[in-house]
Amino acid sequence: MIGTGVLSATDREPTDGEVVARVLAGDGEAFGIVIRRYEAGLLRYATRMLGHPDAAADAVAEGLVRAYRHLATCRDPGRLKSWLYRIVGNRCRSHLARRSTSDLSLDDAPPIADPQDSEAATERAEQLAQVERALETLSPEKREAFLLKHVEGMSYEEMAAVTGERIPTLKMRVHRARAALLEALKEYE
Amino acid sequence: MMHIDPQLQRVLDGELPSDDLTPLQREQSAALQRAARLLAEAPVGSVAERVMAEVRRPPLRLGQRMAQWLTERHAVTIAVRPIWSLALAAALAAVAVIPSRGPGPVLGEQEGIAQFVGRFPGARSVEVVGSFTDWRPGAVVLRDDDHDGIWRASVVLPVGEHEYMFVVDGERWVADPLAGRYVDDGFGRQNALLFVRPLAR
Repeated sequence: MIGTGVLSATDREPTDGEVVARVLAGDGEAFGIVIRRYEAGLLRYATRMLGHPDAAADAVAEGLVRAYRHLATCRDPGRLKSWLYRIVGNRCRSHLARRSTSDLSLDDAPPIADPQDSEAATERAEQLAQVERALETLSPEKREAFLLKHVEGMSYEEMAAVTGERIPTLKMRVHRARAALLEALKEYE
Repeated sequence: MMHIDPQLQRVLDGELPSDDLTPLQREQSAALQRAARLLAEAPVGSVAERVMAEVRRPPLRLGQRMAQWLTERHAVTIAVRPIWSLALAAALAAVAVIPSRGPGPVLGEQEGIAQFVGRFPGARSVEVVGSFTDWRPGAVVLRDDDHDGIWRASVVLPVGEHEYMFVVDGERWVADPLAGRYVDDGFGRQNALLFVRPLAR
């Protein structure tokens, strides 16, 4: 019998903990909820970290598959988001460590402006490319710190869970990242 | 490097209100916020299908290979791990390199047998999960028939490198302490590495 008068999980969006419990109980399809919930942010984070959408898609896909396979080791499902960012961040770091300096970068691949685009959209794309180039001049640690703080909107506590670093270290890194980015932006103006 | 006043850093950290910023500080703050807004645009594309295809992929079926191991001829053992003592290590190494004359599986050219051995006194169950089981439990269960705390299992695996972990009592993941080679598991821990060599014929 369906509907016993108790508010069922389908009446509201399940929490991360509930989704994790469903997956661990054998409902693999429930992992789709995790993907829908966090994919856009993870792709954005990886794309900004790596500067290349294909490499970012690989990092996020590999990270999510690893997360699924190791879901039982996620000790605090309530902090699933931080755990996923940590896994994908590690994939990004591995990729950056492997990547040779001859790899394609955003400098080599400027966005292609579609002639159908409005002038405003084209201008916005150029501004984004400028900011991406400036971001790419930062060290991976500073880039990660700026992205987690200002683009993903994390608190320093969340950043500590993602990176495994201490909060004072992260604060210093964010402060230096801001200064470095401002300087790079000035150069690319 | 460009200098950012500590007061502005504290404003950007949300620790101070922005009321008292100088014009230069406001300009710097606006530039950083504009950059963050542009970077916050989510890229198009999705990896959902790719990930769900992996999620839906059924686990490797090792049962048939295990059945072969029990019913057919000639085997060679390769690799293997945790050992209780040097003497046990030596004994296991000897077993590992001498081709068996007894019953065993018929191995393909690109297959070998991996023996997993671990000392887990008091454990209720021990199994191995790894890249060869798609990290799913239940496929390779170790046994301790004589209750001496030494758990063992043998499996046919494709030649090449495999990552693995022991899972003790269904919940404790343990990297083989004597594996010798490890690889980052992607989130701060290490998986043991096993290399299965092709059988010399």
